[in-house]
Amino acid sequence: MCGIVGLHLKNPALEPELGRLFVPMLEAMTSRGPDSAGLATYDAEGMHVVKDVGLPRDICAAHDIAARSGHQAVGHTRMATESAVTSDHAHPFTPLPDLALVHNGSFSNHASIRRTLARQGIACTTDNDSEVAARFIARELTEGADLEDAMRSVLKEFDGFFTLLVTSGTQFAVLRDSFACKPAVIAETADYVAMASEYHALAELPGIGDARIVEPEPERVYAWSR
Amino acid sequence: MVALNGSSVQELMKVDLASTSVRELNAELHAPTARRYEVHNPRGAEAIAVGLRHAIEVEIHGPAGYYCAGMNMLADVVVHGSVGTGVAENMMSGSVRVRGDASQSAGATGHGGLLVVEGSASMRCGISMKGIDIVVGGDVGPMSAFMAQAGRLVVCGDAGDGLGDSIYEARLYVRGRVGSPGADCVEKEMRDEHVAELERLLADAGLPHDPGEFRRFGSARRLYHFAAHNSAAY
Amino acid sequence: MIDPAQAGLRESATFDRATIAAIQRAAETGVYDIRGWGAKRAVPHFDDLLLLGASMSRYPLEGYRERCDTDVVLGDRHASNPLHLDIPITIAGMSFGALSAQAKEALGRGATEVGTSTTTGDGGMTPEERGQSKHLVYQYLPSRYGMNPDDLRAADAIEVVLGQGAKPGGGGMLLGQKISERVAGMRTLPAGIDQRSACRHPDWTGPDDLTIKILELREITDWQKPIYVKVGATRTYYDVKLAVAAGADVVVVDGMQGGTAATQEVFIEHVGIPTLAAIPQAVQALDELGLHRKVQLIVSGGIRTGADVAKAMALGADAVAIGTAALIALGDNHPRYADEYAAIGSAPGFYDDFQDGRDPAGITTQDPELAARLDPVEGGRRVANYLRVLTLEAQTLARACGKAHLRNLEPEDLVALTIEAAAMARVPLAGTSWIPGQGF
Repeated sequence: MCGIVGLHLKNPALEPELGRLFVPMLEAMTSRGPDSAGLATYDAEGMHVVKDVGLPRDICAAHDIAARSGHQAVGHTRMATESAVTSDHAHPFTPLPDLALVHNGSFSNHASIRRTLARQGIACTTDNDSEVAARFIARELTEGADLEDAMRSVLKEFDGFFTLLVTSGTQFAVLRDSFACKPAVIAETADYVAMASEYHALAELPGIGDARIVEPEPERVYAWSR
Repeated sequence: MVALNGSSVQELMKVDLASTSVRELNAELHAPTARRYEVHNPRGAEAIAVGLRHAIEVEIHGPAGYYCAGMNMLADVVVHGSVGTGVAENMMSGSVRVRGDASQSAGATGHGGLLVVEGSASMRCGISMKGIDIVVGGDVGPMSAFMAQAGRLVVCGDAGDGLGDSIYEARLYVRGRVGSPGADCVEKEMRDEHVAELERLLADAGLPHDPGEFRRFGSARRLYHFAAHNSAAY
Repeated sequence: MIDPAQAGLRESATFDRATIAAIQRAAETGVYDIRGWGAKRAVPHFDDLLLLGASMSRYPLEGYRERCDTDVVLGDRHASNPLHLDIPITIAGMSFGALSAQAKEALGRGATEVGTSTTTGDGGMTPEERGQSKHLVYQYLPSRYGMNPDDLRAADAIEVVLGQGAKPGGGGMLLGQKISERVAGMRTLPAGIDQRSACRHPDWTGPDDLTIKILELREITDWQKPIYVKVGATRTYYDVKLAVAAGADVVVVDGMQGGTAATQEVFIEHVGIPTLAAIPQAVQALDELGLHRKVQLIVSGGIRTGADVAKAMALGADAVAIGTAALIALGDNHPRYADEYAAIGSAPGFYDDFQDGRDPAGITTQDPELAARLDPVEGGRRVANYLRVLTLEAQTLARACGKAHLRNLEPEDLVALTIEAAAMARVPLAGTSWIPGQGF
């Protein structure tokens, strides 16, 4: 139960600004997830992950996120439901070197999928339901699926409520379950794609007034690549 | 809050949410000292102008978040921007006009008044509506008018899947395509009285479409009584 | 007809007579059984706990002379106008529709007479109950039937209902017999139809969205009214933590014995956990947040006596709520209606067809003739009497434990008679220091 934000830059001129644009997005989601926060940024060197307990503002300040550059960022503020409040339980879950997943909602059959993965030698390190989805997608990718196919497999296997944002070094993908109760809004301009749980996380982005704003439909994978 | 003149009941008050809290704004709107309000810099904030119960005018310049104008009575609210989940939820009377798009559950459980969304509304528009009139200039998302009990929903664009699922006595008018009607929702004949009421609703909403381009949907009333032969529909 | 026991016939424990009747009824109708009341199966309950009265190591209070106070403040965490109740026993939410207007009025009268609160239900607020209730809690439910912001402002507290103990995760089902013109009008439905209510709120899902919903309700009521969040007892530890995170002033936990007006039998008997098991989970959640006694806990589901009240409070509840017991106090299942119960295929002590609208006691009905049997003034007197007895009984037990206030009862005043109750209530088995599940 949480807030999600993500920013995928299309215009390389904005890359030095990534952190400065991204931090207000994450801070805007504080009330949706006051327990912990986490984020991943992507630059030429790869993915950089920060996860910690506490308020987004403090976490971003402690790691000077505003100064980061790069082409993509994903973040999460967490209101823990059935698992502990620790930095390990914070999102994003990053089971592969360049894969990050954030989730808002609650899976209702994650325990069964967790057992199936475990039988295949894929162990989760926390009791967080979102980690199961991250490792499931990682397995699909490792077996050769592309990210969009992997996310469509989530629809077949996972029950419950979810809005997912999944990023890889080159891709940015959003998916909601068939009920689509957990909020999501996507804004797209010539310069960027931004996604958040609520619009006010996007309100400070440049050119947001002219952005194309979309609420993702249920059971449809929205994906962007660079 | 910036008062434009010093008399006890002013004509217009401007409120800048960059410097004034939503709490201060709502407290003022609940005991209004002006007839009209302009709200600036809403930046998607939640619960703006909720629980109004005086015949005042409120114009919000920019996007508003969850539950904008929730439970409105008597007031006329205009949002020059988009709105988040549950705009005008449980409205009783008055009007709410959204110049942009609306998120989920627009007009949910509304008992009266008029909600106009000039852009599109997403999923569950008019869910459990109980007498409100909703006119959407663009499209509505899936499961709109779910369990709709009373009132009218007018969609000038397309409607998503599951339109009017488990509908009771609400009337739905759609100009474009319908993804699929939900359980117990069927297309019905457009009689003269329906053309007339649709004409009035479109005029009230200021959306000049020809009522002849719309189709009407309503309840087949097959699920009004719980019965074994309907078990697949529950 | 032979006496099966005398004849040495053996009844199956698995396929007993009630089970056989249920299978044959299902085969007959093709529709699941819907009924009222709460879980009827035996579950560990307050009867499996005992209080440790004072003897030598502790000092009791004098029964008829020394004070044992009972007042409670509910909802002072964020609300400027919390509820101040004289007794910690409240009336649970029951709808006009499920109950007659006379029954609702009687509950309001009874509660007001002894200085406690009553609660609306799924169907809106009636003038009768608002008029007769000094402290009225307004339920905010998924269906939003009769939901009116003026009533919200007229209420003394707001209870956001996520679920109830009889059917956590389920919506309501009020059958057409009870959808009278007035009930239908209040709910904006055609009269006489079978009404299916939603199980989820139409404009929010989950604790993050509930946070925003509670903000909206506070803004609408100018931060004056306490906001309760009511959950059916299941994953109570997590649910209580999340209710508090979402901003609740008061959390209401309803165990599986809690009643309903009309729900599937399979739901009533097979979903949820006993009240006894839920309280320690709720208290643990509040304790860990440092908010026990600051966010108040109201417990319901099977409260019948002052002993139940005292034990619930000793386990950590700030107050309790009664529903089924209040209806019984009004005359539900009274032997004087034996013939009439027989005429509709039931008997005193067994009647649970609240969905059916033919209640001989005139309580769970919308039939004007039946409803007229219940005089709201006399009914109010009975409810007040019953609430007084519950209070006196709880005080008696608290004094015996040396408490000058009911809220000073604590888990250490309790022991359990069975291992099951000891494990669930997290108190030692009587005569031992063993709490099953702890210390291993």
